Amino acid sequence: MKLIRKTNFDFLGSQKFGFVISSSFILAGIISLALRGGPVLGIDFTGGTIVQIQMESSPDVSELRSSLDELNIGISEVQTFGSSNEIIIRIKDSYKSEDISSILTDVFSQKFPNEKIEFRRFEAVGPKIGSELQGKALISIIFAIIGILIYISIRFEVSFAIGAISALVHDVLITLGIFSILGYEISLPIIAAFLTIVGYSLNDTIVVFDRIRENLKKIKSDENISIFNQSINESLSRTVITSLTTFIVVFILYLSGGEVIKYFAFAMIIGVMVGTYSSIYIASPVVLLWQKKFNTQN
Amino acid sequence: MNKQTPRLLFIGIILLWSIYTLFPTFKFNFLSDEEKNDLRVDGKLESLQEKVLKQGLDLQGGMHILLEIDIPTLIENLATNKNTKFYTTLNFTKENYNLNQNFIDEFIRQSESDKLKLNRYFSEISSNGLTIKQTLEKERDDALNRVLEILQNRVDEFGVSEPTIQKQGDQRIIVELAGIQDPARARSLLQSTALLEFSLLKDGSITQNLISRIDKILKGNSDLIDIVNNINEESDNAELNESKTSNDQEVSMTELFSSFNNDTLISSDSSNGVIIDQDIFQERPFSSLLRNTGNDMGVPEKNLFAIKKIIQMEEIQTSLENEASKISFSKEKETWTLPEGGTESFYKMYHLESNKGLSGGLIQEAKASFYNGQPIVSLSMNSEGAKIWSRLTGANIGKRLAIVLDNNVRMAPTIRSKISDGQTQVEGFANMEEAKDIAIVLRAGALPAPVNIIEERTIGPSLGKDSIEKGTRSVIIGLILILVFMIFYYRGSGFIASTGLIFNLILVLSILSMLDATLTLPGIAGLILTVGMAVDANVIIFERIREELEKGKKSKSAVESGFSRAITTIIDANVTTILAALILYQFGSGPIKGFAIVLCCGILTSMFTAIFTSKTIFNIITNNKNLKSLSI
Repeated sequence: MKLIRKTNFDFLGSQKFGFVISSSFILAGIISLALRGGPVLGIDFTGGTIVQIQMESSPDVSELRSSLDELNIGISEVQTFGSSNEIIIRIKDSYKSEDISSILTDVFSQKFPNEKIEFRRFEAVGPKIGSELQGKALISIIFAIIGILIYISIRFEVSFAIGAISALVHDVLITLGIFSILGYEISLPIIAAFLTIVGYSLNDTIVVFDRIRENLKKIKSDENISIFNQSINESLSRTVITSLTTFIVVFILYLSGGEVIKYFAFAMIIGVMVGTYSSIYIASPVVLLWQKKFNTQN
Repeated sequence: MNKQTPRLLFIGIILLWSIYTLFPTFKFNFLSDEEKNDLRVDGKLESLQEKVLKQGLDLQGGMHILLEIDIPTLIENLATNKNTKFYTTLNFTKENYNLNQNFIDEFIRQSESDKLKLNRYFSEISSNGLTIKQTLEKERDDALNRVLEILQNRVDEFGVSEPTIQKQGDQRIIVELAGIQDPARARSLLQSTALLEFSLLKDGSITQNLISRIDKILKGNSDLIDIVNNINEESDNAELNESKTSNDQEVSMTELFSSFNNDTLISSDSSNGVIIDQDIFQERPFSSLLRNTGNDMGVPEKNLFAIKKIIQMEEIQTSLENEASKISFSKEKETWTLPEGGTESFYKMYHLESNKGLSGGLIQEAKASFYNGQPIVSLSMNSEGAKIWSRLTGANIGKRLAIVLDNNVRMAPTIRSKISDGQTQVEGFANMEEAKDIAIVLRAGALPAPVNIIEERTIGPSLGKDSIEKGTRSVIIGLILILVFMIFYYRGSGFIASTGLIFNLILVLSILSMLDATLTLPGIAGLILTVGMAVDANVIIFERIREELEKGKKSKSAVESGFSRAITTIIDANVTTILAALILYQFGSGPIKGFAIVLCCGILTSMFTAIFTSKTIFNIITNNKNLKSLSI
């Protein structure tokens, strides 16, 4: 069985189309980020407290919110989490790990005296730890990019490294933008998802590059663009199938992995789609552009 | 003989090894609570548990806490003649440094730019800036070590099986308590100051009387049999810290061991149950649980819970209170060679005055050093301490004084003479390490700076269970869908890839288990991702083989060139992902590390299964002379 027969799409001829799509996505993301004053950071990076409580019945969330607001402990969000009897409370500006659990226990036992209430999760992060992690996350992404740049420059050549990096920066930017537009929080697992997207995007890109490298040796032609096009077409079948299988698993994770892992899976879904697209429409065109501009090609 | 035999053999060995490594994990997960209890009684549960793939706190529930020594307060406490200018600089540094920096360095830098003369405030330390810096750093390290010591000392009280306490950097400590039941109590235990006391040991004859009295109380008490018999089940959650007696003559060694090896043991299994001599047990039930170890009474490790349980009994508590005494045990267990061969671990038991002689807060300094070639610890006290110390030592020459930290006896030296100025030497250490440890204990009573909880993550056990269920379900559904797709799309070859995928999953889990790595929730996500991405290597190979077949090559040569061409691609593509995963490992904390490690293992094993395992199966198929066409 074959999904994709021998193809001969002119991917590089339609690179304008690709650039337009990408820039509009990135622009939308950047506008959203600017409006929000940066990405929405979770307590891992800002400090704060998250308490997850499971109850027997489904409480009235807005009523619960107003009675919690009266406590004046800087409650920023009260919402259901997954199911309607599971409540999550976020506390932003203050950090009182010792007190908060006892305060909340009091409130809940007063408000729902006949119910069994279970504290399922309690996370409290000090503000300094948060800012420290921010720095660490940024540094690790930068190190990843530098390492990859060096590896690809050695295995291929600089222009390919530039192409690969552009593709992955593109992927991370778009995912970050979509997270910002939807108002999703960036937490530690999401950073892990971003780094996985980095790895995945490269994986895709390099398979294409590998074919280009092979064809460049094999085919003597002045027209690099046609070799590039041919290579993308030749590896298209693999690109689509791998993306499909990876998409299937992250989609299942999104559907049935539970609330905690849901956003991680969501980031991966976006990453797989954008990563597949960028290995075709971003990576190779950028290599060509770079080669044209700096004439690195012999 | 087939050329593929060595390759098949290799694959077989790896498969067997994986199953062998994972077997305890499977076994453990299918045990019922009763079966677990039976194993516990036999003492086999622990060794099984050690081989089981560990679950992170986010899966089994538990508490992760990051503690930080309050360095600004430490500096403040060490300084004298403090004025507004000093506080301005200190507070400015406090607000502006980030935790990647070293606070002491930042403080010194800031004081230079503020033109703050540090030797004015630390004149007691030195006038030299470098010495001041070194002293501050030494104090910081010392404070960290002391907190570490205090925490390790209290670990038992948390009642968890495998607590982790480790230093992180210069000023922080990570504490991880799996399956903790009462986070609030743990939190307060972690932050409360250590209680260091000096208590006099009761005279040997008094202790001896006490033991006989306990024996009398217990004799004929039918509850005791139950206590001893039930002890194995209870030992897990027992949190008894009070108690017990010591004696030098009461139980003689010959008496205890004369009938040691006959069938008089109460426990069904002599190697694991409580060790009791039945004859002595009838007459002197309490003594029969003890050992004479020279100067002190010893409690064999296996009898400790029985002893603690007995001491908890109301009558015995009353008896202890009547003579203002209490029973404490040593912190460390010691090993001892049995007269009939073999070794036994035991704790020492001390009968102490319940009124403390001196509390540890009065100690000013405790240092380990060499004196006449022997390791010693020298102590100095503040004036109040020296006064009490003088009275205490003067009135009790020749008696023994126990150093007790959080109710655990650390050592019990004999008082040689009256010490009037507080300057005290403690000797009798086996080596310098031991002396240093005791010096840390002696300083633990007065912590120079508070400890703050700067990060806490507590996951309830039910949430962890949910995560495991949902995660496992996702892995299984994902795996099945991928298998179905591969077989549908690549037919026979897809079937080969599918076997590889399952093999891959087993391999990843067994490597994790072997590395003693921890499976976390993001780790399960990594497992799912591995399933998705492991297919990739197969897809690259299969697509290549198809291309080669389309060019008109025969099955065998198509497979050969398909594999050899695909390998460079696969390696190049995966090295970068491994790079990202390694950086993630460096950066990450607990759960994220779990993800990074799964990803790394998954990529490596998927390369192995695709390149080596699948290739072997293909070789076998294409070597078949009757092969008409390859199913791909």
